[in-house]
Amino acid sequence: MTENKTFHTDPDEVKDPNAIQPEIHLDDVQRVKVLSPTMLVLKRFLRNQLAILGLAILIFMFAFSFLGGLFSPYRQQQVFRKYELIPKEYAAAAINKDLRYIVQTGENFSGPSLAQFVLAKNKGEPVFSAGDRDYSYTEKGEDFYLISELKVLTDVIVLAGNGRFTPAAGVELTEDFQTAALEALKSSQTAFEYGDDEYFISRNGKMNTISVAHEIALATKLVFAAYEPEAQPLLNSLDFVEQAQLALINDADSFAVGGVLYRIVIDEDSAIIYRSQDDEDHPFASVSNIIVNPISPDIFLSVDFKRTLNEAIAEGKTTFTAVTQNGTEETFTINRVHETYTVYAQRTSQLIDMYAPPSNEHLLGTDGNGMDVLTRLMYGGRISLLVGFVVVFFEVILGVLIGGVAGFFGGIIDTILMRIVDLFNSIPFYPIVIILGSVMDTLKVNPYARIFILMTVLGLLGWTNIARVVRGQILSLREQDFMVATEATGIRISRRIFRHLVPNVMPLLIVQATLALGNIIIIEATLSFLGLGVKYPIASWGNIINAATNLHVMTSYWYVWIPAGILIVLTVLGFNFVGDGLRDAFDPKMKR
Amino acid sequence: MNDNNTMLEVKNLQKFFPIKSGFFGRVVGQVKAVDGVSFSIERGKTMGLVGESGCGKTTVGKTILRLNSKTGGEVYFNGKEIFGLGNAEMLKMRPHMQIIFQDPYSSLSPRLPVGEIIGEAVREHQIVPPNEFDDYVTRIMQACGLQEYHKDRYPHEFSGGQRQRICIARALALNPDFVVCDEPVSALDVSIQAQIINLLEDLQKEFNLAYLFISHDLSVVQHISDTVGVMYLGNLVEFANKDEIFSNPLHPYTKALFSAIPIPDPTVRRNRIILEGSIPSPANPPSGCKFHTRCTYAMERCKVEVPVQLDKGNGHMVACHLYDDNSGSEKQPETDEASFRAIGEQYDKANENKTESNPA
Ligand SMILES: Nc1ncnc2c1ncn2[C@@H]1O[C@H](COP(=O)(O)OP(=O)(O)O)[C@@H](O)[C@H]1O
Ligand code: SF4
Ligand SMILES: [Mg+2]
Repeated sequence: MTENKTFHTDPDEVKDPNAIQPEIHLDDVQRVKVLSPTMLVLKRFLRNQLAILGLAILIFMFAFSFLGGLFSPYRQQQVFRKYELIPKEYAAAAINKDLRYIVQTGENFSGPSLAQFVLAKNKGEPVFSAGDRDYSYTEKGEDFYLISELKVLTDVIVLAGNGRFTPAAGVELTEDFQTAALEALKSSQTAFEYGDDEYFISRNGKMNTISVAHEIALATKLVFAAYEPEAQPLLNSLDFVEQAQLALINDADSFAVGGVLYRIVIDEDSAIIYRSQDDEDHPFASVSNIIVNPISPDIFLSVDFKRTLNEAIAEGKTTFTAVTQNGTEETFTINRVHETYTVYAQRTSQLIDMYAPPSNEHLLGTDGNGMDVLTRLMYGGRISLLVGFVVVFFEVILGVLIGGVAGFFGGIIDTILMRIVDLFNSIPFYPIVIILGSVMDTLKVNPYARIFILMTVLGLLGWTNIARVVRGQILSLREQDFMVATEATGIRISRRIFRHLVPNVMPLLIVQATLALGNIIIIEATLSFLGLGVKYPIASWGNIINAATNLHVMTSYWYVWIPAGILIVLTVLGFNFVGDGLRDAFDPKMKR
Repeated sequence: MNDNNTMLEVKNLQKFFPIKSGFFGRVVGQVKAVDGVSFSIERGKTMGLVGESGCGKTTVGKTILRLNSKTGGEVYFNGKEIFGLGNAEMLKMRPHMQIIFQDPYSSLSPRLPVGEIIGEAVREHQIVPPNEFDDYVTRIMQACGLQEYHKDRYPHEFSGGQRQRICIARALALNPDFVVCDEPVSALDVSIQAQIINLLEDLQKEFNLAYLFISHDLSVVQHISDTVGVMYLGNLVEFANKDEIFSNPLHPYTKALFSAIPIPDPTVRRNRIILEGSIPSPANPPSGCKFHTRCTYAMERCKVEVPVQLDKGNGHMVACHLYDDNSGSEKQPETDEASFRAIGEQYDKANENKTESNPA
């Protein structure tokens, strides 16, 4: 055929290797390095500055989260404490307004007897009775009373100058006593002394009753404080206090008790009693009208301390310095409420180091639990990224499986699966996870188990997007001529799927998964922020920001929550930049 | 089938695509892409298939290779009804019948190197023993004008013409008897079209291939074909051997189509038949003769009665009431032989110019 002749300019053209020459383009053959599609994608990706920035952010985040924890000197849940001087109650003092009673050892003077005494004292009656006992008291000085119990000795009837004595059971009366008593009766005395004792007479018609007074207690407003703890018992003994009081009243400068001589030195409002021993005076007790008591029984307040305190109170000072029982000099503060004074000592105490501002030890300070914010950010990053990856992995598996089957087989299978996708898409996401979160709260689910449940639920609710994308991609690939060609050339189904379909679905899948990662991180952060996701004590970026729900923390302690916010924003941006970069690199035509 | 030389016989082939809509994809209608097409191709021969875009040419090509399911009719390949084959048998049959697509860009898997694209199915079907595999692929590539070093390259590194060579090599590597060429050059530069056409012709001679050559470029069809079929809206309206149909087109649609071939020679005159209106939707084709909405010879009868294939002698088949002897119609469409003679000359000249401007 002539046509063929003219059609062929050169019959050998096709077999000639040079035949292809006219088709060689400038960017082809030996001139340009051969790049596989993967390398091309990589090259395009690396040329995208935004994608590189995103990649750099992500690399930083991964290093920060997964390596940071190894380098941080602190543990995730390590609580930091600090020592701080804070005023602690040390002693209490009050000006004594009440009578204090010192009771003879072995005697009982309390309850009704005390009450009757106070009544009698206020009425000015020298005798009173409580129960079947009779008492008398004598006022020996201002606010100093000696109280005695009266014991009936004998009844006496005086007839024509003679007394007929009827002694109480077991009482022997001497002649001399009878004479002294008769004397007193005749002169109508109510009391008389005989020997060392004082006797009281009460009349009832012709019947007189003679009783003996027996000291059982004293009442005073003065407060005796011992210099040495061993001296305290003596200061509670009736004998000592009585002698000391009497000496004070009489302005005597010494008195003796139990064969020991005590000297008194008066000093304005108070006095010091020295015990003379071996010709030396030792401070023994201090007398004042201020009661000072330690807050706790292991504190012993020295007389010096009490005296300094007394002076400070008298001078109206609010601080004073005194030596404590350990021998150290300390400054105390006095806080007055009405007539009572509370003494505070500066004590170092261990406190949880909450909201410590950034410092060398804690570069981002500490949070409300006294934990290092930076360290918690590192561990929180682990959780946030891990949750992201696990959930996306789960979503990809489900999405590829379901989307792939729907797309590849099409028809009724596709229809059914896509309706299932629609069903999942119509599940209201936030209500479900919020309810789930509160259910887990109520059931007190272990924080680690919570994370797994959270991941499962996020994955179950989130795979539909990937399924749709995969299905769409497979549907469009199925119609592409190269897929038809694999069928035409008779390639096995499995090979068609794994050699031809999957590699072409991969790019989109990678892009989708990358973008989904950013999304999941936001969702996790949101849930944890709301207290429904990852829970204390496990850190996650979301629950770190949760601190900002407290207005005071939000405004005053920016370093507790701002960094977590920045990390979330950066990570999500990073994932999105990388995802967009990958998409552009995979498919340059898609670039807008 | 009856004839030993017949390789492919298509009988009354139908392919409808369901139109789905609604929530559960209810079928609301059908696109009758191929609606009763019959033809046959002989061993080593080329059948040209022409028609406007959307008339169902590609669907015919794909369906006779069982790349689509069929709706009706039969396809006999070497005497076997291919839709009657089991999956394993069909897989064995595949290498014998191949296809070259119109778009060389979407027809190559972008993630595989060329050597793999061409060789994959060779290995799959064990066309050659494994130790000869590399040489075989190289030989095929060279036969298609490709170089051995192209094996490791990826499709994106090739121009359209080279890609089409790769597609041809992929089809050829399976040692087929029959290749559907679905507009193999229409996406290529004019300068490259001739090279590909020449390549296809050379390969046909070398490997004794039969082609179904789908095109809407009539010059190419005239050049390459032994027989020509003309399709309109899913129907084969005319079928004859090339010389017969180009010198004596009978169907009004064929005439209109052929009259559109431009003639650069101003001395040659031809009545150009302008087709009015656009091609109707195959989802809702006109009744009777589907062409009646645009046919200048349309009669009342055409609107209701579907024309049947008439043999006007020499295997010249036409589906038009004008040639129905009972039609009683006086009107005979005038043929313009001079113009059609000119077409071939014009094509050759144009082709000469092309190859001159792109020296080999
Ligand atoms: N897979 C398909 N699904 C639905 N309709 C299709 C499909 N393939 C082709 N068609 C329809 O069938 C008709 C014929 O298409 P086609 O065979 O591609 O025409 P041509 O190749 O002649 O241009 C067109 O209307 C087209 O829309
Ligand atoms: S059958 Fe009628 S409408 Fe159809 S082509 Fe022939 S003349 Fe035209
Ligand atoms: Mg087509």
